[in-house]
Amino acid sequence: MSLLVLHTLRCIGFAGTARIAGAAGLTESEVESELIDLAVDGLVTHLPGEFGGWGLTDEGRVADAQRITGELESAQARPALTKAFHEFMVLNPELLDLCTAWQIRSNGILNDHSDIAYDGRVLGRFNDFHERAVVVCADLSAAQARFDRYRVRLTDALRRAAAGELEYVADGIGSYHAVWAELHEDLLATLGIPR
Amino acid sequence: MRWIRPIAAESQETADTVGGKADGLVVLHRLGLPVPPGFVITTEACRAFLRDGRPPDGLSDEVAAAKAGLGSATVSVRSGASVSMPGMMDTILNVDKRLMPSVEAVFSSWNTPRARTYRELHDIPHDLGTAVIVQAMVLGDRDEHSGTGVAFSRDPNTGARTPFGEVLFGHQGEDVVSGRARTHPLHELAEREPAVWAELLDALSRIEAHHRDACYVEFTFESGVLWLLQVRSGGYAGAAAVRVATDLAGEQVISRTEALLRVSPQHLVRTPRMTADHVLARGLGACPGVATGRVASTTDSAVRMAVEGPVILVRPETSPHDMRGLAAAAGVVTERGGPASHAAVVARSMGKPAVVGVSGFTIAEGTLITIDGTSGEIALGSQPSTTTADAHLARLLGWADDVSGDHTERAEAERLRAAHAVLSR
Repeated sequence: MSLLVLHTLRCIGFAGTARIAGAAGLTESEVESELIDLAVDGLVTHLPGEFGGWGLTDEGRVADAQRITGELESAQARPALTKAFHEFMVLNPELLDLCTAWQIRSNGILNDHSDIAYDGRVLGRFNDFHERAVVVCADLSAAQARFDRYRVRLTDALRRAAAGELEYVADGIGSYHAVWAELHEDLLATLGIPR
Repeated sequence: MRWIRPIAAESQETADTVGGKADGLVVLHRLGLPVPPGFVITTEACRAFLRDGRPPDGLSDEVAAAKAGLGSATVSVRSGASVSMPGMMDTILNVDKRLMPSVEAVFSSWNTPRARTYRELHDIPHDLGTAVIVQAMVLGDRDEHSGTGVAFSRDPNTGARTPFGEVLFGHQGEDVVSGRARTHPLHELAEREPAVWAELLDALSRIEAHHRDACYVEFTFESGVLWLLQVRSGGYAGAAAVRVATDLAGEQVISRTEALLRVSPQHLVRTPRMTADHVLARGLGACPGVATGRVASTTDSAVRMAVEGPVILVRPETSPHDMRGLAAAAGVVTERGGPASHAAVVARSMGKPAVVGVSGFTIAEGTLITIDGTSGEIALGSQPSTTTADAHLARLLGWADDVSGDHTERAEAERLRAAHAVLSR
């Protein structure tokens, strides 16, 4: 569990316990006790202030890279994960196209979300996209089970967006775009691919 | 020829058959402008390929014969549908022997899931298929008198009547797209290759006269000889659309009525714009608005410095690690990435001005800069910005009131809509 918390923080950047818990699929109290242990080991630190939160130290990043690579190699999952990563990268530009279409109309004007038919059409394409994303998520979690959490979170974001919480498309930390970007970061970190 | 058409002045084909890109090249031929020798494989051939999973009978022989007629060992193979789908399909450069596999790859790129999604979003039918343009390669990287670039006949940010664009000396066009090499402002062509520059200006003016609108070309020059590879007209937005329409009417290229009809009420939405005398660097505007602040080159420094005053986060590109830096910053600049990059999507969700794709941008931490997320311009120091109507808009709205006969004080969009209502009667 300590690697899960450490690595979640590695992928999402600075965050509070509630957000880490949501991303990792743990309770806040589980996360909190892990964070205390990790802080004692000097792997995470807590910054105060408006933009503060828990984050990795330099030592924490090194430790995460070692442990997450160790887990990958001991499960002999690198070939399968690499293959699924390439599938992810095929989908990646399409997801960014979709987020852009959600934010900007084709005439270059920002989407003010007053045109329900247009938003419905874009969400329809998100649904279609998601069906294919779920297939890639299944390949990812077949390689390493922890990746299934992304399928859960992406599905949840889209369900909320469809129910009218439009910020779950591309705004804010729980949005489809944010979860997708965290998945991207996770894959790069796990496979040791530099940005 | 059953499946192939020449790209030549006498072509009678429509964009439905040969695609919009080839149609534009035919216009360039008619205007007597330089286009590399080439031919186009029709959308019908693509449809047959997509239906049967193999090239239609005879296509391969026709392609081989037409290629032999080009007198060039290497060719480019480009997609070109009847409707614009920028960046969605394949372009393959420097093809020498195995031409048909490249043609089939471009055909197949019509049906990638990404291209299908794009068509769904933009109401484009799935059964059109793409034409494929095969042209002799012209080499922007041949020698020191070679290069490649893009040029607008008028500034797409302001609509001002000055050519605008970028040029890359000694490289091929793909290096511009990939960000591998740093581009220069278009006007540097005037000093380095005056003959090419003069020819380019002449081409822009002839294309404008033909379309009676501002235009855009992609060009390559090889050993001092200019070639045009693609042309588009119109497509300006916001204040630039207003100015182009008003100026064209002033130049008596179009009527005032047409000027009014070319501007939509959405073009009148006002966003703050920077008014700087000297621009330090330029990228792509990804979220409109103007922001001034001190440069922070990491998320940590952005958060730290934001306590003292506004910061602009300047990163090679952004990732989830930069979220709190983005949250703390007043605006964001990235060296890599386009309008659909992570930084662009996040900046828009936060409503923060963003400039992306500023290749080779280096600047000292703490430097005060101002960015304009519409034009993609970056200037040193704190620069003024304006949202006030310029003279061009005032002029256009005066014409609108003349048409509607209503000179009372109303919102700008109302004045334009009233004129449109009269003109559409």
